[in-house]
Amino acid sequence: MLNAIEGSQAIAQAVALCRPQVVSAYPITPQTHIVENLSKLVANGQFNCEFVSVESEFSAASVALGAAMTGSRAYTASASQGILLMAEVLYNISGSRVPMVMTCANRAVSAPLSIWNDQQDSMAVRDAGWIQLYCADNQEAIDTMIQAYRIAERCELPVMVCVDGFTLTHTLETLDMPEQQQVDDFLPPYHFSRTLNPQKPISVGTLVSPDYYSEARQEHHQALLDAQAEIIQADQDWGKIVGREYGGLLNIFGDADAKIGILCLGSVLGTLEAALQQGLVTEKVKLFQLRCFRPFPSHALQLACEGLTHLVVLERALSVGSGGIVSLEVAVALNYLPQPPKLYACAAGLGGRDIPLQILPKLLALTQQPPQPFQIIDLK
Amino acid sequence: MFALKADWSQEIKKRYFTLDDYTGGEARWCPGCGDHAVLTVVQRICRDKQILPEKTVAVSGIGCSSRLPHYMGTYGFHGTHGRALTIACGIRSRRPDLDVWVATGDGDCFSIGAGHWIHAIRYNMNMVVLIFDNNVYGLTKKQMSPTSPLGFKNNTAPRGTILQPLNPLTVTLGITNVSFVAQTIDWNPAHLYATLQAAHNHRGTSFVRILQRCPVYSDEVFSDIQNDPSKILFLNHKNGIHIGDNVKRLFPTQREHDPSNMSEAYDIARNHVPVGLLYHAPQTPCYEDFSSVGRHMGIEDKMKGLNDALDQFAV
Repeated sequence: MLNAIEGSQAIAQAVALCRPQVVSAYPITPQTHIVENLSKLVANGQFNCEFVSVESEFSAASVALGAAMTGSRAYTASASQGILLMAEVLYNISGSRVPMVMTCANRAVSAPLSIWNDQQDSMAVRDAGWIQLYCADNQEAIDTMIQAYRIAERCELPVMVCVDGFTLTHTLETLDMPEQQQVDDFLPPYHFSRTLNPQKPISVGTLVSPDYYSEARQEHHQALLDAQAEIIQADQDWGKIVGREYGGLLNIFGDADAKIGILCLGSVLGTLEAALQQGLVTEKVKLFQLRCFRPFPSHALQLACEGLTHLVVLERALSVGSGGIVSLEVAVALNYLPQPPKLYACAAGLGGRDIPLQILPKLLALTQQPPQPFQIIDLK
Repeated sequence: MFALKADWSQEIKKRYFTLDDYTGGEARWCPGCGDHAVLTVVQRICRDKQILPEKTVAVSGIGCSSRLPHYMGTYGFHGTHGRALTIACGIRSRRPDLDVWVATGDGDCFSIGAGHWIHAIRYNMNMVVLIFDNNVYGLTKKQMSPTSPLGFKNNTAPRGTILQPLNPLTVTLGITNVSFVAQTIDWNPAHLYATLQAAHNHRGTSFVRILQRCPVYSDEVFSDIQNDPSKILFLNHKNGIHIGDNVKRLFPTQREHDPSNMSEAYDIARNHVPVGLLYHAPQTPCYEDFSSVGRHMGIEDKMKGLNDALDQFAV
């Protein structure tokens, strides 16, 4: 059913449709509306769930971990400093191969203090062993939230659904909210294979000697790589139900025969699409929305970039002292192509700075020159 | 202006600081917020004691109250959520010459920073800890805090909180090495001033819980004791907080309480809404008193000590 609804409220409703038994969260801007809406749904009896309002993000992630270990479907959400405070637990959750879903309402990281959007927070925990999916709009956020539980439970891996803070979380859009039955059909009740069970006692998270640590890491790494198939499958299966698909790992727009490509993550896709539609540039351009950043879809990217002469990677984060985060990984992936495109790495929109439509001609102007070192292209 | 006199001595004018010297940016708390009162009192104490602005540091975490360093014309550090006390401890550990004021709230201190609260009290480094307790998370717009009263309706508990509130006074009194615990209210400037002044005079961690009104998100939580001040227990003692009789008479319910009496302090904290000095142990050692032991000794002193000890076992 179509509804004009705020992004956070829509995400909360989508979470409730997934029927998690435990939600544990701590308020932080711009995630707050998501958990507030969830607590309202619980208080109004519309959502049967244990909502644990804890005293910190560290506790929020830990409670979710404990709940998931009992076999419950668990959910948490955070942003920025909250994600960083959770970092230790994020590794613990994924390393223990415990499925759960969290929303990251992407926000810049302090210091200097900023409550506005960029993607430094989720990028800071990119190596934590979670699947990371980045949404371009709120409809995708709803659909991805539901897909995320399917992926998490089938792969026994946690999934972080990243939505740009304020740009998506605080924006009203006309959205199609799925029916409960549709979600129930897609997400049947789930049984965690390693749930705490006195009949079959096991210990999780125990000390591992150097004899086994590398093998445990390799298994985890392989599980993430293998999750790509489930991510594509979940997108296709959910697409058959609601009639919307997002390209699985990598969503591709624009001219198929374009020689210039622009790759981005999250809501900036809408800006680039609008700029193309308004004819701000005359060149043919192919747009790539990197929907899945972890696992990194190297193969899908290689296939998609064949024939390109130039590729611009636009990020909303940076590895301070190195440069582009995504662009570095793209460079490694494309290095295996016989004729890789020239790569242009840049960032914009840090700490909530608006990315205007005019970014598109600016990005294309980069490709007129030989590749330069990474740069923040919207500095004053 | 730099000038030497005929006898080659220099005339250095005595510096005098006004309130303006302790004022930073324009305070942007909501109209009617109790934080304004606390800020003004801190600035007044700085002025009245002529504390050097360049020797003063305001440290905070995250929350409405944690904006205080922005509004002080001193050094300031706006830290991360819950970490005000640890950052302040770091500053104190290296710069004991600085005057450290910590601004933190019921969310920052009792919730996400609760671990540091306990240990900072135990370290007992010399600083004033201002707890702006409005019983609510204000900056994120009305979610329950650990001190929210039972049944308080808010955005994370729309039907009201289900847990009894945390009592920060009894908790703090129970921490090893606690040295100064007081409670005051933002709507009585004279008592607020006298309490913060006593806290500043104390050597050690002065824990001051300020019942602070938030007119936007928790305007009702203190209305009961505001409308009927007899529900506040005023603590009177020659070693307590000193205010004039004209202010004292605003508190109909009073009792004598010796702030060195821990068990009585605990009973009062548990069963009443007190204002005044609950506990004061001025001789409590500070962290630096422990950590500096033996620091002045050289290797020879230590060798001598070691040899003396070994000699006890000599045959």
